[in-house]
Order: sequence, then C-alpha cells, then structure tokens
Amino acid sequence: MTISIWRYSHLALAVSSFLLLLLASVTGVILAFEPVAQKIQPYHTAGFEQASLAQTLPLLRSKYPGISELTVNHHQFVIIKGSDNKGENLEAYIDPQTGKILGTPEKQSEFFLWVTDLHRSLFIHETGRFIIGLTAFLLLLIAVSGTMLIIQRQRGIKRFFTRIVKENAAQYYHVVLGRLSLIPIILIAGTGTYLSLVRFEIIPPEKVATEVDFDAIKEEPRQEPASFAIFKNTLLSEVQSVEFPFSDDPEDYYTLKLKDREVAVNQLTGEILSEAKYPTAQLLTELSLDLHTGRTNIIWAIILAVASGNILFFIYSGFKISFRRRAKSIKNKYTLDESRFIILVGSENGNTFRFARAIQQQLIKHGQKPFLTELNNYTLYPQAEHLIILTATYGLGDPPTNAKRFVKLLQTTPQAQPVRYSVIGFGSHKYADFCKFAFEVNQMLSHQAWATPLLDMHTVNDRSPEEFSLWAEAWSQQAGIALAVLPELRKTQTKRFETLTVAANTCCENTEGTFLIRFQPKRKIKFTSGDLLAIYPANDHRERLYSIGLVQQELQVSVRLLPDGLGSGFLHRLKPGDTIPARIIKNDHFHFPKKATGVLMIANGTGIGPFLGMICQNSQQTPIHLYGGFRDRESCNLYKPFLEENKTAQRLTQLHLALSREGEKQYVSDLISRDADLVANLLATGGVIMICGSLAMQKDVTAILENICQTKLNQNISYYQSRSQLLTDCY
Amino acid sequence: MKFIYKLCLVGLVFSLFTFNASAQTTKYKCLLQMSNYVGEEAYIVVSLINPKGEYEKTLYVMGPDKKWYKTIKEWHKFYSKKPANISAITGASVAGGDRSVTVFEIENAKINANYKLRFETAVEDKEYYVKDLEIPLTTASLSAKNDGTGFIRYVRFSAN
Repeated sequence: MTISIWRYSHLALAVSSFLLLLLASVTGVILAFEPVAQKIQPYHTAGFEQASLAQTLPLLRSKYPGISELTVNHHQFVIIKGSDNKGENLEAYIDPQTGKILGTPEKQSEFFLWVTDLHRSLFIHETGRFIIGLTAFLLLLIAVSGTMLIIQRQRGIKRFFTRIVKENAAQYYHVVLGRLSLIPIILIAGTGTYLSLVRFEIIPPEKVATEVDFDAIKEEPRQEPASFAIFKNTLLSEVQSVEFPFSDDPEDYYTLKLKDREVAVNQLTGEILSEAKYPTAQLLTELSLDLHTGRTNIIWAIILAVASGNILFFIYSGFKISFRRRAKSIKNKYTLDESRFIILVGSENGNTFRFARAIQQQLIKHGQKPFLTELNNYTLYPQAEHLIILTATYGLGDPPTNAKRFVKLLQTTPQAQPVRYSVIGFGSHKYADFCKFAFEVNQMLSHQAWATPLLDMHTVNDRSPEEFSLWAEAWSQQAGIALAVLPELRKTQTKRFETLTVAANTCCENTEGTFLIRFQPKRKIKFTSGDLLAIYPANDHRERLYSIGLVQQELQVSVRLLPDGLGSGFLHRLKPGDTIPARIIKNDHFHFPKKATGVLMIANGTGIGPFLGMICQNSQQTPIHLYGGFRDRESCNLYKPFLEENKTAQRLTQLHLALSREGEKQYVSDLISRDADLVANLLATGGVIMICGSLAMQKDVTAILENICQTKLNQNISYYQSRSQLLTDCY
Repeated sequence: MKFIYKLCLVGLVFSLFTFNASAQTTKYKCLLQMSNYVGEEAYIVVSLINPKGEYEKTLYVMGPDKKWYKTIKEWHKFYSKKPANISAITGASVAGGDRSVTVFEIENAKINANYKLRFETAVEDKEYYVKDLEIPLTTASLSAKNDGTGFIRYVRFSAN
C-alpha cells in the first residue's frame, strides 16, 4: 500500500530512534528538575536587579580582600571565590547589596551528574555523544515530518491550529499534543543537534579573549573603582563573571565577562584596556544551552519537562497508531477471480477495515465468496456480481491514501459484466466535508454503464454501529443475504420491539396497488418523519424497512403492493385493530432540516411517504417545494387532498406533479430540469434538497442536479452532499 | 581551681603553638590562566614532587567528578596507591580561556629544597599533559610568571 512520504519518514525515523529517544526523554524529564531544584534555593536577593558594579565590586573588595572572582549564575545568584582572612579557600553565595554571606555552593549532585552523563553520552563518551547527537537530529526530523503531517491533515498551514476531530484517543492526543509541544520539541532537538555539531567541531568553535597590551597600561589618572565609568554603567544582572586583579600590580586588571563581550579594565584608572565581542557561534552555544537545559528560566524548564514527557507519550501513541494501521492487513480466503462479492476499502487509519472484515466474514459464513482489498487495487473482477465500497474521507474531502488511484482506475477499468454496487461512506459530521469522497465514488459509479446501484448510498457518522447496521439491514434486504453484523459493531444497539396497532389502512380504496397504512404505537415512543419502520412479515430474521411519516401523532407508511411482496403483502392484509411487532430505527440523515432557507422535496411513487409527515410537521412554515412523480392521476389522488389541505395551511409552498403515463408524460426529473434556476438558487442560499423514491429516479435526478451544480454553481455535487444539503433515502 | 584551669589552658595553647612551629607552612595564592583551547573543561592536579621525582603530596585538584581522575594518569597511580582525603582541596574544573585562583599550603621547609610543583592537565577526548607545567619550588619561581606547555598559559603566585 502507498503511504505518504512524510508519514513513512515519520514512522521510519521514530522506529529507528525510539529506544534512544525513550532514554533521552526520561533522563531529560529528570534533568529538567535540576534548574528547578536550584532556583528554589533562597539565594536570590531583592536588590539584585538594581545593583551596579560600581556599588558591588568596591564593597566586596574591601570586605573580602582575598576575593578573586565574582560569578552570577543562571539563577542570578551571586557567588564569590577567593580566600578569606585566614587565607583559606572561600566560595560563597552573597548578597550583592551588603556583601553578607548567604550560603555555600554545594557540589553538583552526584545523581544529576550521573543522569547528565547518561543523557549526553550514555556513559560511553565520544561514541555515546555521537549517538545522542544523531538522536537529537532524528528527533528534529521527526518533528519536521510530524509538522508536515499535521499540515497535510489539516489541509494547509493556515488551518494548522484549527480543531482536530477526535476519532480515537491515541491518534487524537498524538496530534493535539504534537501540535502543542511542537515548538519546545523542535527547540530541544535543534539545540541538541547544534550542541553536538559544536562539540564535534563541525560548526567551527571559536574562542576570543581580551588581548591586553601591557606596555600601554597607564597608572594615571587614578580613580576610585566606585567612580569607574564602566562599573557605573554596568549592572550586576548583565554580568556573567568578574575576575578581580590578581595583585595590586598595574599589569593586573579586572576582566568583566558580560553577556555578549569580555572587557578588560585597568584597576587604577578604570580605563578599558581591551574589549572582545563573543563570536556568534559562542553566543549561539550559550543560547542553545539555555534553551536545551532550561537553566535560566524555571518556567521554561518545566515546559521542557512536559515536552520531554510528551515524547514518551508520542512513542506510546505512535506505536499504537502504527499497530492499528498494521492491523488492517488483508486476508482473503478466495481469489479475486472467483469471488462474487468484491469489498473495496478506502481508509486512512484502518478503522474502516473493521467494518469491511465484518462484512467479509459474514459473507463467508453464508457460503459466499467475498474478496476484500483496497480501493487502489481496483481491477477487473470476472465473477463479480456485487461491489461493496467502504470508504473514509481524508483532509478536506480528499480520498484516503489507499484510495487515491481509484478514480483513475475506475475510468480505465470497466467491468465486463453488470455489477450491482453499494457505497458506504465513513466520516464524522465534525468535519465540514462529511463523506465527500464516498459521495464522489458513488457518483462516479452511477455513471458507469456496467454498474447499477443496489441501494442508496449510506453514511456512517463517527463509526456509529446503528448506522452501519442500517446499511447492513438494507443491503441484506436487497441482496437476500442476511448480514448479521458482528456483535462488537452493534454493541450499543439493543433491539427493542414495539407493538403497533393498525389505526387505518387505505388498501381497499385503491386498486392500483399503492396504499397508506397508519399505526398507533402502544407505548409512547419518540420518532419523527424519515425514521424507518422495520417489520418482520414472516416472523423470522427477514426484515422489511419502510420510511415513516409522522402524521397526526400516528405513524404512517406509504406502501406499494408488489405481486409477491413479502412485506407489502403482509401490510396489505392488515385490518384496523390488528397489532404487529416492529422496530423503529432512527435515521438521522433523512430528517427534516432544523435550519434551512427552504426545502425541495423530490419523490416518486411511495417515496412521498416520509414527506407527507414532514409537511404535516412543518409548523414553522419553512418554504417547501414538493415535486412528486406518479404514473397517473389516480395514483396521486391518494395524496392530493392531504397535500391541498396543507398548502392552504401554508405548510406546503408549491406542489409540482409529473405524470408518466398521462397527459404530458413527464417524469419528476423533467420538472427539476425545468426549474434548474430555482434549484441552483436554493442550494446557493443554504436550502436543502431531499430525495425519496426509487433508485432509478434518484439516478436521473442526481444527474440533473450534478449538471446544475457544475454549470450554475461551479461546485461538484459532492460539495452539497457532504454538507447535508442533498439528502437521499432511496431503494 | 580557676587558676589551675587557666594554667592548663595556657599550657594547651602553648603546646599547640610549638607544634605548629615545628611544621610551619605558608599559604600561596595561585593564579592559573588557561590558554584559549576549545573543548571540555580541563581537569588539573597540582602536586608536590620530592627531590627523587616522586609524588609526595597533592596540593590541589581542579575537577569535581572522580570518574575522570583516572585520565590524569600519573597522578592517579599515586593517588590510588595512597588515597588521601582531598575533598577540602578540590575545586571546579577550568575551561579554556578562563582563569582560576586557588589557595594552597606549602611547608616552608620544602621551599628551595629541590622540590618541584607539578601541574598535570587532562581534557576529555583531548591531550593529557603530565608536565603541563613543572617548576622548581624556589622563592624565585614563586614570584615569577611561569608559562605552561599545554592547556595552561601561565601560573602566578602570591603569598597570602
């Protein structure tokens, strides 16, 4: 399978360095606490920020005549070194304002020394340093490839910080935390790499020091150190260290090591003897150390600890994600040449494969020959009768990596025999482009001469077991093979049977075969128009689904009596007062939109069923245009009084009827062609189109809509499909 | 009674004084200026070498981590044979270009008596100098500037 170069590098780099990264991160977290432990010592004094060298140096020199050096450490503690009055070595923290000794610096803790050594050289000196340096560089590459992956995932740098959809915990937090700790990690890796380069002298190190011309040293005019200009103008906080003159000899001088330069100062006159700016490489090294160790800032040290901790989490979650991706490895019992059922999968993270495998296993259980593969492997399937496509969408409506070639392959590889297809889109409504690629695949298949839809396209939001079961039920009904989806997939679903009492049945009034039947649920249940009614006509596993209309608190379905129809025959025989067991299945994707500027309903035959309920429920008077296609006047008379009544009550705005066997012999699709401008305007202004009826009608109407979208709106139809502006429920 | 105590105290002080006088020492402040080499901080040991050319005493150790002591090879042989408590005379290692000022004690009797002062240096993954600087322990050399041959640029002393 193909995976993008960034993902491949991200994984390859991580695999090759994770043990060392693990070690470096653990030790890194520990080491981050060294500056923290140091900083909380009580040696910082209140007057530090204001103290100048003119105040401090003469004071210290008179108080400690043996002073040789003053150091300001990274925590801004002031340390003096020298010898005390008894000539003993002296090293102490002092208060620069008073010169008072505050404490004695302790040697670096053995523990931290040990951990530092492990962190930077694995106890194997130069070889270890090289390995760790390389690891730092790899981490930098991992961070860079990770950034590229986020950009790819979010579709653009501008969207880098937009919301990430939570699909599964490992992946979600891998990306979310990755984004948050990106900067510290890049800094850790970058500075680590830089320090190694300096260490191995790949970046040429330089050292400068002040060069003093001893012949030019003057002894006049003498000044008190307290009035040296350089001392007055230099704050203690700008200083790294001050070396005091070793003796009173005029050739001995002060050396001030400031943050950016070194200055030699005549101890008698205060004249600047020499000045040397540190080279950039040295400043960068210092900066790198500051950033890498967090020694200057306690908050940064804590951020570094957290970022290092995150690396540990990335190692864990990254491997979890990879293993999940690996888990999608495909096993086939039958070859593609002998299989009747071809299951094609488009999946970025392998989640969709679970569903595909469930279908595959069910088919095998029923003695069928399925063949499962990725969309990119699409080819000729000589024995294929059914094509089942399960696909996710990646980024902003793009195909997943393993489905990128499918579009092209489909054009160039037509199947030789007729094949019936069914597409299931997997996605999340949290993304703007819900199942866009699946809609496109479905659309493209509808253009293939060899392909006929077995079902309307289904979508599964957030891997909902209910929605997947809905597809499975619909598919089973059409294909005649009961797909009992795996228990794990329908874990959350409990089959709950309702008892429905027949309230009215128009079966006797109409000879032509279309009738309306109304039920009164025994128990108060929540449902709405567009939901599905599942009945069990033979009291066995065989299930039949009908789209519900909620009319006057009753559940109404519109049915066409078929010659040997199992479900329709059963319903036809029901008399008022009869009770049946049934199930009501939520069908969220075909509910009347809560917010829409207008709704255009397209139905043929009994497809008008759910619309009758929706119109009846339209108390907010959303403009509704109903386009209905019927055979003749008689077959639409069943609905006409009801529709006229609702039109008067302003729950229905416009009613357009097409009769295919009378008068102008029109199809409903002809009406849509006629009203193309209205359709385009509706879509452009946020209206919703709902289609319910036969798949043949859907195909015709969709072709027209596709044309309208392209010519009048300059958009692909999948744009509106993925934004729930085009809803279909066809059979 | 009080008088007896005082007498004892005086006696004690006196005896201490005489003991001190028997091994009279002088403290020297030592300025060690490093050359501008590039690399890790140097570990430096200052030793007193007797007229036979053998190590007699460790005067100062610049470098806190025992793990590196073995890199100062010659001194380490002596130190491992005759381990001494050096914690009081141990200080920080010294980086290239830096200077270090330390104080050490030398018995007056050893001066001008064919003894030598040896400065031994080692830097991780760089050279090791047994005699980066070795000077005769004489009044003259203790008042002069002594140039090093390795990582040390020069050493100067002043009596404390």
